[in-house]
Amino acid sequence: MPEPFDALAADLARFQARSVAGYGRLCAARGVDPEKIRLAGEAPAVPTDAFKLAHVFAFDGSDAAVTFHTSGTTVGARGTHAMRAVGTYDAAALAFGRATLASGLMPPVPVLVIGPSDREASDSSLAHMCALFARDLGLPAPFERTFFVRGDALDVAGLRARVSGLAPTAPALVLATSFALVHLLDALGGARLPLPSGSRVMQTGGFKGRSREVAPDELRRAVADTFAVSERAVVGEYGMTELSSQFWEAALVDPDSPHGVYLEPPWARVVPVDPETLHPLPRGEVGIARIEDLANVDSAFAVLAQDRVRRVGPGFELLGRVPGAAPRGCSIALDEMLSP
Amino acid sequence: MSRSVENRTADVRRMLACARTIYAQRSRVVPALVASTGLTAEGVELGFASLEQDATDAELRRLVSAAGARRHVHVVLSSNVFVAPLRALALARAAAERVTVRPSPRDPVLARALLEALDAAGDDAFSQVDERDVSQIEAQEIHVYGRDETIAAVRARARPGVVVRGHAAGMGVALLSRDAEPGPAAGALALDMVAFDQRGCLSPRLAVVLGGEARAAAFAGALHAALGGWAVRVPRGQLAADERAAARRWRDAVAFAGRVWEAEEHVVALVPESAAGYVPPPGRHLTVLAASSPEVAAAALAPLARAIVTVGTDAPLELAPLVPAHSRLSLLGTMQRPPLDGPVDRR
Repeated sequence: MPEPFDALAADLARFQARSVAGYGRLCAARGVDPEKIRLAGEAPAVPTDAFKLAHVFAFDGSDAAVTFHTSGTTVGARGTHAMRAVGTYDAAALAFGRATLASGLMPPVPVLVIGPSDREASDSSLAHMCALFARDLGLPAPFERTFFVRGDALDVAGLRARVSGLAPTAPALVLATSFALVHLLDALGGARLPLPSGSRVMQTGGFKGRSREVAPDELRRAVADTFAVSERAVVGEYGMTELSSQFWEAALVDPDSPHGVYLEPPWARVVPVDPETLHPLPRGEVGIARIEDLANVDSAFAVLAQDRVRRVGPGFELLGRVPGAAPRGCSIALDEMLSP
Repeated sequence: MSRSVENRTADVRRMLACARTIYAQRSRVVPALVASTGLTAEGVELGFASLEQDATDAELRRLVSAAGARRHVHVVLSSNVFVAPLRALALARAAAERVTVRPSPRDPVLARALLEALDAAGDDAFSQVDERDVSQIEAQEIHVYGRDETIAAVRARARPGVVVRGHAAGMGVALLSRDAEPGPAAGALALDMVAFDQRGCLSPRLAVVLGGEARAAAFAGALHAALGGWAVRVPRGQLAADERAAARRWRDAVAFAGRVWEAEEHVVALVPESAAGYVPPPGRHLTVLAASSPEVAAAALAPLARAIVTVGTDAPLELAPLVPAHSRLSLLGTMQRPPLDGPVDRR
């Protein structure tokens, strides 16, 4: 029988308080004795901002096997998540990806990434995950027939060629960011790229000013129409550089689940908390996401994100970023000052 | 039609006389200011210390010179620190024979009091307008106070040929020399922090302490003690829910990244250089950074330069070279009271 979530979380909290100097300080500042933690929720969560300000890892930096960086520029620095090994990250990503995005598929299948390769974006956790899926779930294919963004340019012709060459009976996986999909739709100008029956499209992330903004429902409809798949085959992924686990929309595994509801793997929890007290909120209330990720062994198992969430059915609903405090007076706001 | 410097100076002096009247009768407006600003009554009283009531002739000549000359200036006020309308209207009056004013809907108290006092004093140059659409305003020049987005919106809507002068949000920085005594320096900076609960563009949000980490820690501890004293004399006012949430997030992030001195109504954080740009939210929160040399201090300030409206220091002559060219420079404890010699914000 596996160890209970809380027991593992308490072990991690104690380990991280001993091994990550900042976490020890945070526990002390909040009056929490790590040795007395019994429940995951008793451990302070590390704000994602801390990943921009300090080292959040339990080992010597020179031992890092990979270092992922956030793309955000909110505080003028990029968040950093270093790992001394990627085995746990990869195992977690594959296990839950197979159970959700690839549910019912029989890998290997064609995997098409509308994004850069991990060679080109070696500090991107998303590129790492997509490359991992291409390697472990995908049919062998040349690099240029797998990754369709190179040097920030979208290879529409290459993507058309790859899609047109797919066997009609072999479902494919398309992995893309929201802004890449918008660029693709714009480039296609209404033309379609029909995928084989049973194919799925992963859509992740916001727009971050890298494309025009498109409402989620509208984008999903347009993507489904372009690729000739059902809207339920367009599956949202929610992940963060600061985490080692991902969350997937339940659309493919729960026919009754509405779009926008994400599932956690058994080793992670998303808890809506009050933004001021950080206390958990009753089911159905909107709070900010406290994410407990047991795969974050060497960094911070509890992370305080800047996304608004609420529990819905078996999962949680993602409701967008927490806006910064509304300005009162002429004092400058953090986002205003250091955004480019 | 052009007004002489003497006439313009006299017009501003009349405004200062009105400010003195308002100050003398301030008990009339304190309740309204408590309601509109969220400050405590003690905080409003402290804020009144920053209301300009006098100026030297030389200061006023500089103000008049900076104001330019127009027939009609329109002023769009934001919910700035509550004493800010005096300087805003003085700049407009120095420039123009006619001044129209749109007070902040959220914090109109001092602007309205000033307009009433000016009317009573016989200055008929001013009139209040509630028109939100600046394309309907016929002024030659518009002075707009507020966020970058507000200023951009006014620029976009202003009639062709109208000059728009924007006064955006900003922040203050404290710069302590190697010779600064932690106790007195902290006491002076605490006054600058407590005024307006840090909601002003002159409010210090970051202190750079020349010397080692131990000096910076000693200063942070002294500031913590000084702010504790202020919490008794001038309790912090209300923070909105989103401000409290931002403060909680900042507190936890800096507790992780550095060392914090916390009390119910303030937090002082000693952080590594990597966190210099992680500016705290208003509400008596300050980041302290140790700088081993002036070069390190300059490097820490460089990315923030465009936001720095003022620098407070114990050694203005020695540290002036580190201060961004557009920033005001003042002694610690006087950051909130720059001379009435032009706009607060010189960016």
